Amino acid sequence: MFSKQPRRAERAKRCWPTSRGALPGISRGRAPWLVLAAVVAGFAATIGGRAAAPKFFSDDPIQVDDDRAFDAGSVRAIEGSNAYDFAEHTFLKRGDRSDIRAANVNTLDEVPDSTWFTNRIGRVAISIEEIVRGPNQFDSLVIDDWPIVQEKSSGITPGYRVTDPSGHLYQVKFDPPANPEMASAAEVIGAAIYHALGYNVVQGYIVEVDPARVIISPKATTVDMSGRRRSMRREDVDQIFSRAARLPNGKYRATLSRFAEGRPVGYFKYYGTRPDDPNDIHPHEHRRELRGNRVFSAWLNHDDSRGINSLDMLEGAEGRRYIRHYVFDFGSIMGSGSTVPQVPRAGNEYILEWAPALKTLATLGLYVRPWITVDYWQGARSVGRFEGDFFDPIQWRPEYPNPAFESMRPDDAFWAARLVARFSDDAIRAIVAKARYSEPSAAEHIAATLIKRRDKVLRTWLTSVNPIAEPSLGSDGMLTFENAAVAARAASAPTAYVLTWSRFDNATGSNVGDSVEMRVTEPQAPAPKQLLEGADFVSVAIQTVHSDYPEWRLPVVLTFRRTASGWQAIGIERTVAPRTR
Amino acid sequence: MRVLLLVASLWLLTPAPLLYAQEPTTRAEVLRRQREEKSQELSPPEPSRLERVLLDLETGRLFERLLNPAEGFYPKIGNITTGSGISFGPAYRTPGLFGGHADFSAFAAGSFQRYWMVDARLTMPRLAGETVLLDLHAQRYDFPNEDFFGLGPESRRQDHVTYGLASSMVGGAGAVRPVPWLALGGGFDYLTPSVASDDDRRIGTLFDDASAPGLSTQPDFVRYQAFAELNYRAPRGNPRRGGRYALAIARFDDTSGDRYSFRRVEADLQQYVPILRDRRVLAFHALVSASDADAGREVPFYLQRTLGGPDDLRGFRHFRFRDRNLLLLQAEYRWEIFTAVDGAIFYDAGQVAPRLEDLSLRDLESDYGIGFRFGTANGVFLRVEGAFGSSGGKHFIFRFGHVF
Repeated sequence: MFSKQPRRAERAKRCWPTSRGALPGISRGRAPWLVLAAVVAGFAATIGGRAAAPKFFSDDPIQVDDDRAFDAGSVRAIEGSNAYDFAEHTFLKRGDRSDIRAANVNTLDEVPDSTWFTNRIGRVAISIEEIVRGPNQFDSLVIDDWPIVQEKSSGITPGYRVTDPSGHLYQVKFDPPANPEMASAAEVIGAAIYHALGYNVVQGYIVEVDPARVIISPKATTVDMSGRRRSMRREDVDQIFSRAARLPNGKYRATLSRFAEGRPVGYFKYYGTRPDDPNDIHPHEHRRELRGNRVFSAWLNHDDSRGINSLDMLEGAEGRRYIRHYVFDFGSIMGSGSTVPQVPRAGNEYILEWAPALKTLATLGLYVRPWITVDYWQGARSVGRFEGDFFDPIQWRPEYPNPAFESMRPDDAFWAARLVARFSDDAIRAIVAKARYSEPSAAEHIAATLIKRRDKVLRTWLTSVNPIAEPSLGSDGMLTFENAAVAARAASAPTAYVLTWSRFDNATGSNVGDSVEMRVTEPQAPAPKQLLEGADFVSVAIQTVHSDYPEWRLPVVLTFRRTASGWQAIGIERTVAPRTR
Repeated sequence: MRVLLLVASLWLLTPAPLLYAQEPTTRAEVLRRQREEKSQELSPPEPSRLERVLLDLETGRLFERLLNPAEGFYPKIGNITTGSGISFGPAYRTPGLFGGHADFSAFAAGSFQRYWMVDARLTMPRLAGETVLLDLHAQRYDFPNEDFFGLGPESRRQDHVTYGLASSMVGGAGAVRPVPWLALGGGFDYLTPSVASDDDRRIGTLFDDASAPGLSTQPDFVRYQAFAELNYRAPRGNPRRGGRYALAIARFDDTSGDRYSFRRVEADLQQYVPILRDRRVLAFHALVSASDADAGREVPFYLQRTLGGPDDLRGFRHFRFRDRNLLLLQAEYRWEIFTAVDGAIFYDAGQVAPRLEDLSLRDLESDYGIGFRFGTANGVFLRVEGAFGSSGGKHFIFRFGHVF
């Protein structure tokens, strides 16, 4: 949670008025010692009674974390190395691995808006049209006659960069010849879903490039294999087209990505904080939206979800600059491996994972990794390798270890799964339609697989904690809440809910007085009137009784604050079983 | 004392808000203070030395330039021939000559064993919609320590001697590839082999022209060759399925007379049987080579096919067996350990014989072993193997490139 209060000893040290020598007469006689003892005792009492911050501040739960408050104009652009990123995370344990609650959630266990994340589908109902449109400003774009200004600087996908008539920069990436539509479809589907979830993603469009109408800017350059930068020539472009899928109409289908506003200053790592950004205070491995990205990545088979595929952009006016954090490159999600179909290992095992490798080595291959025998649908080359039957959300893996993913706790996963639950079947089919698969069976397979994987995600992670959500205490004293797992049809209704009501002392952060226990079968219950009368804060700990989910017995503590019109939910604390791995 | 009491009284009576005026009262303020604190101690990101090196390698495309450069100079690292040891040298490649139709490449490489080779070739692989390929090449090499144990299957290990072989080669080749998996072609080369045999433990101390035909004189040769290749291996560089079946017919014409003219027919068959979605592979290789000279003519020993070494009978020394005719059978079980490393268990068997009819599946020389291959799904960069079970002892193999 957002609390980072100074330790009591530090506070005491800071508030101590003066040094011993400044107290005259302290060494004369016994009385002064008694007085001093009284002062110390009073001071300690003051600290204990007055200095402790309240559990809930007046602005809790905050909806926005203002991480643009301090000027970040002095940040230095950083570059990432793919090889180093792989080696660093494969051979080293980066980041703080403490089993702690996410650092940037508010008191309702939600992620406030920030430069990292903007609540969209999780906070308000958004239409399917809005989900499909995603970050895009335009319905479609035609890039004939947009000049090529430079090569594509990184990555394995063939492409180049162009500018629109206003001079804004875009990147063009083509589909591989053997798998037309595969990477571009993955790109727009991934961007739409990640945008709806709340991440910053760049605008992306599917376009058709007519090779006869390609223009090369006289200033366009490329780097040859000798490392020399030289002017870009038509044969360079032809070489790019030779590695791209050609459509029956002679054009080439591509993804067009609009460069984000601002100045690129590198990428973010999935651990630590950026040392030159004053606004970046929460260790990334403890950010809820980065931990929870493991759930979304598993759903979409986004095995390339790593720091290198992120982007930090410096925005804002002079003296008020801040970094906005993007995730990008969805061309290798689902069944796409960008230039080839996704390899069967992807999503099932790290590139280098010792245990299965050593087993395979020691048994001369008699040990068969389970994912090897998976059958993939092969009805359309545009799908690649994408399936939902073998998929296991718990066992899913990115390409190599990710510190934030490894720090994910059940409450993080629950938060993420609730967002996944917001994607209806119709929404998923509409997003897939945006990819414009030419073969209807491809679109149907992708949508059906996304739905199947979504359902597995929900069954896995909506049930991993006591799934109490959406609490409300009416002015009439009626408590209502939602069982998120039941609401998403990921679990059957529980046998009962056991509620323990208490008055809550916000100053001390503890319950006071006698508690009242009740047992109900529906997700609603009247609060004890005698407990509400005269109380400013009340809390209720809810345990859920379900024979299939013993972990639902771990209580969720809801806290309400009295307002002029009734009661406001200000706290949700989930009890989470300690991490076992 | 009074002062002390006064201080104590004031302390206890001071309202908390005044005492803790600095304490935050909102969550936003808590966060703002944390950011303010951090703003006082900013530092630039400092990549580690390793990260900087790797980044430089990537952005400079050094790996690509080392392994498979498209153009320009690059270092050539590998084995120029069996027994040369690791060789190094400069190489150069420039594609897209003559309107984009031709590629030129050249290299000069030498090894610590004093082997060296200079090679240059002009290739036109994109003629007629990439269905026709033409190649012109020139080569000069000197292999100063080639192993020789005598001819025939009964040659003795203790008769081991060496000889030097140097030659120039100029020639051309062409092929038609009507479909990607079929190639038909032919070519010619002019060869100028010469054998050096003067020192101790050299070939001349134990062998003569009768036991090593061509030892005394080495004429120039013109070699004509035709071939047909059916190749549907996948992937080509590190096959997991499919096969390659090649048939080649060659004629070597002695330009100074007919004494050393001969014909050669070779069938080279490879088959790959995938198991477990290509994660395991059974790989088979059979090679039959038959050389035939008219009556009274000889096949020079230095142009005879050999068995033994890291690419065929891996449990034997280089060129351990040599004769006019050869049979090689290899089988491997390959299993993927992880993405970049395969394991392999192999069995090699082979035989040489003076006459084709003497080749049989009985009395084959054989070995077995285990090894590891490092590379990608599309190619093997390096293999490390141990070969055992032969009469030639144990052999450790460290070799660039695949075996077959």
